[in-house]
Amino acid sequence: MTSENVSVSRMQWFKERGLKYALAPAALIILYVFFGIFGMNYFSYPTLVNIIDASYYIGFISMGVTFVIISGGIDLSVGTVMMASALIGGVALKHGVPMLPSLLLIILVGTGFGFFNGLIVSRLKLPPFIATLGTMMISMGVGSIVSNVQSATFPIRGQPGGWYKNLFLYLSPEGGMIPTGAILLLLVGIICHLILSNTKLGRYTYAIGSNIEAARLSGVDVQKWQMMVYVISGATAGIGGISYAAIYTTVLPAQGQGFELYAIAAAVIGGTSLSGGVGTIWGTIIGVFIMSVLATGLPAMNLQAHWQTFFTGVIVIGAVLLDMYRTKKASEVRIETAADMYKAEMSEKIASMKRELSSLKASGDRDKVADLQKEIAAARRELKATFAAKKAEEKAEQARIRAEERAADHEFSEMLKHKDHPIDNI
Amino acid sequence: MAEIGRFIQGFSRLIIRKGVMSVAAKLLSMEKIDKRFTGVHALRQVNFDLDEGEIHALVGENGAGKSTLMNILVGIIQKDSGQIYYMGHLFNAHDPKHALEMGIGIIHQELNMMDHLTVAQNIFIGREFTKMGGILLDKREQNKRAEELFTRLKMNIDPTEQVGRLTVAKQQMVEIAKAVSHRLRILILDEPTAALTDTEIAELFTIMRDLKSQGVGMIHISHRLEEIHQIADRVTVLRDGEVVDTKKTSEVTKAQIINMMVGRVIYEQPKIKSLVGPEAPVVLRAHKLNAGKLVRDVSFELRKGEILGFSGLIGSGRTETARAIFGADEVQSGWIEVNGKRAKIRSPSDAVAKGIGYLSEDRKRFELAINLSVKDNMVMAAYDQFQSSLFIDARKVQDVTQKYIDRLNIKTPSIEQLLRNLSGGNQQKVVVAKWLICNCDILIFDEPTRGIDVGAKSEIYTLMNELTKEGKSIIMISSELPEILRMSDRIIVMCEGRITGELPIEEASQEAIMSLATMGRQAVLTGSGTE
Repeated sequence: MTSENVSVSRMQWFKERGLKYALAPAALIILYVFFGIFGMNYFSYPTLVNIIDASYYIGFISMGVTFVIISGGIDLSVGTVMMASALIGGVALKHGVPMLPSLLLIILVGTGFGFFNGLIVSRLKLPPFIATLGTMMISMGVGSIVSNVQSATFPIRGQPGGWYKNLFLYLSPEGGMIPTGAILLLLVGIICHLILSNTKLGRYTYAIGSNIEAARLSGVDVQKWQMMVYVISGATAGIGGISYAAIYTTVLPAQGQGFELYAIAAAVIGGTSLSGGVGTIWGTIIGVFIMSVLATGLPAMNLQAHWQTFFTGVIVIGAVLLDMYRTKKASEVRIETAADMYKAEMSEKIASMKRELSSLKASGDRDKVADLQKEIAAARRELKATFAAKKAEEKAEQARIRAEERAADHEFSEMLKHKDHPIDNI
Repeated sequence: MAEIGRFIQGFSRLIIRKGVMSVAAKLLSMEKIDKRFTGVHALRQVNFDLDEGEIHALVGENGAGKSTLMNILVGIIQKDSGQIYYMGHLFNAHDPKHALEMGIGIIHQELNMMDHLTVAQNIFIGREFTKMGGILLDKREQNKRAEELFTRLKMNIDPTEQVGRLTVAKQQMVEIAKAVSHRLRILILDEPTAALTDTEIAELFTIMRDLKSQGVGMIHISHRLEEIHQIADRVTVLRDGEVVDTKKTSEVTKAQIINMMVGRVIYEQPKIKSLVGPEAPVVLRAHKLNAGKLVRDVSFELRKGEILGFSGLIGSGRTETARAIFGADEVQSGWIEVNGKRAKIRSPSDAVAKGIGYLSEDRKRFELAINLSVKDNMVMAAYDQFQSSLFIDARKVQDVTQKYIDRLNIKTPSIEQLLRNLSGGNQQKVVVAKWLICNCDILIFDEPTRGIDVGAKSEIYTLMNELTKEGKSIIMISSELPEILRMSDRIIVMCEGRITGELPIEEASQEAIMSLATMGRQAVLTGSGTE
């Protein structure tokens, strides 16, 4: 009895969560293999490094955004905050600040913007959409003002301070490439995951996103934790800024708009719900890689970059539709029909035959074993055929009743319209 | 077998249809209605019928399935199986609008009106009168029609008044008028008297009798059993989603109805004498609390080990008082003492730190994160205890949640199960567990048994008594008088935001409570004038 219960709950667990976790990675692998087969030179190390390179800055900001979305908010400012902090770091470099403090400054500026977002959302109760929309414009403006609308150029390899590039891509003297940024991305991912699943901050993020009133009435200091979530988002935007500078070297002012939408898309593809309370960091990372596989794979099939935007859109909508369908299925109440009961009964019979089979096998009676195996196969066939027939019959019956009801409905409402009414017509 | 069954079914359907059409028509007949929600079998093979010009009372404890049945009738939810015959025809409402067009109207307990529109606009919404070929709204015509409607229904309401400015009773009448204007044949009233004074109830009944004489059939859902003999012709009792019986009201006593409602479930023995004497220490004292409109100069004391019942009509300020104590709403003046010391409670987190827990009346909105697991919900208020160093001690969380699942007998396949898959009773137990885990000594139960089945209800009662024996103190807010009388050591009655009386359990009765709950209102109205 208990073992049965356990297996049932495991099945349910898989239906509810396992499937959710399996879908996005499966999609990623399928896409990668697809491009590998149909694209030119796709299965190669340089391409892989390209895929990883293309995923950094969206990768970092989407992790922060995942926190915000799980908490039931939204952060539209991450893209421009990332660029603004990179610009400010570049300006500092230009004024002779050494590399390491400049990099720290980038993270600090990002965190500052996050703090600002958190302040107006949690204390002043501005809707996150509006608050971060404002911050998006403000940060873009700040970047342009500080840089005096000039692009910031970071040192290239070999120049003093160029070491930071090795943080993201290590080029060995022999010409080998190691995408060290992947390690960094993974590290930040692990930290974010630990925060989300194993700390108070993380658990409260889910609680606030799932039902903010319930969290507040459970004595959770909602303001404080909401603020923290935006601070994290700002900090990851800062890290994203560093990665952007490392990969692209030159940072232009008035850029970064639109990145936030890719970050949100990545989170959504990875199963984070925009209504809050649901989501994982791993899902988001998978979402980021799905997008960068698309970005590198489509050119390999001679399709231009705008096709990438198109397909990303298709995937976002598809992912959410699939998720909604899955949730609906999982929470549906099943009503046992005659066909289901037949199936249960037959399965039980087959199971008992199987038990018999295993005991026969132990005794070593070959003929009987073969007979029983045939019998089981026959029973399986019968089950399949009869169940399908019964199901079809039930469906037809239901359709018939529905059609009858609909016909009666129409006839009836016509009749009601013409029938006298106890109360005179008004 | 299946063929024969289908034949019989079809044949009987035919007979019913033909028979009903030739003989006096049953206005409504619901047959073998079945409905399941996740975790609950809400209705099992329910049969219910209604004649023309009949008032049929539908009673049962919370969670018995009354509202579900009515929601199926008007198409808010769809049945899983069963048939509905309306005037002899197979009928299935797609949605409330469809039902209303077909002459079936429902007046919900919470009225659905657009407060900023006028009475006439509310009545004719979606089918406004127009002039100039449909370009402009014809307000004058609309008001005239509404006026006519009110005259005929003998209601004294101004069609041009904004609905938000009317009293609840008047708003309810507007809803009834709206339903009547749709060639109404069946009117469903879901607890129409819950928020009304005696005079307003009398007025409502006059209107109901008037509609009855015009042939409208009415389904009257109520918790107040004394009303049933006043107004209804028949009564159907539901329990745990099943019909216990349908009887003529003249043939059944109130006590018999209660017996049918409660069934064989063994409840805690009602308290005849308070178990807590005046010598017990006061753990919570509220002094002249004022908060919002519905908490006016509220002062009371809660003693250790006591269940203090808060009674009153809906909207009398009980919940608001609880929220003020808990720091969920802002307190304008007055103060609170916990264990003899002045307590500064500005937010729920302050209250929790002082050992006060509040179980809200509206679980879905205020208590549960239904998309999180049972475990996450249970420890939501108590993460501090589980934090060792930087991280949460997952093992400890698991052990503690499992302990409380066992203790409260929560039925869930695992602690990781999402809360939305649990039944109402088990969800309520999870909420109780949440407050027990964070060691709250003062628990405020607001409508603790709303929407849960009878078995779980009885378990909650037992648990509450156990908790008080352990030295915890409980404030219980309830709209169900039998519940208040069964559980409380002392009863406080509120009306219009003020405490109108305090009754030791030895002196309490339904009549005494009701008179305090309604008479106070008149006094306040005449006393302070503008409110």
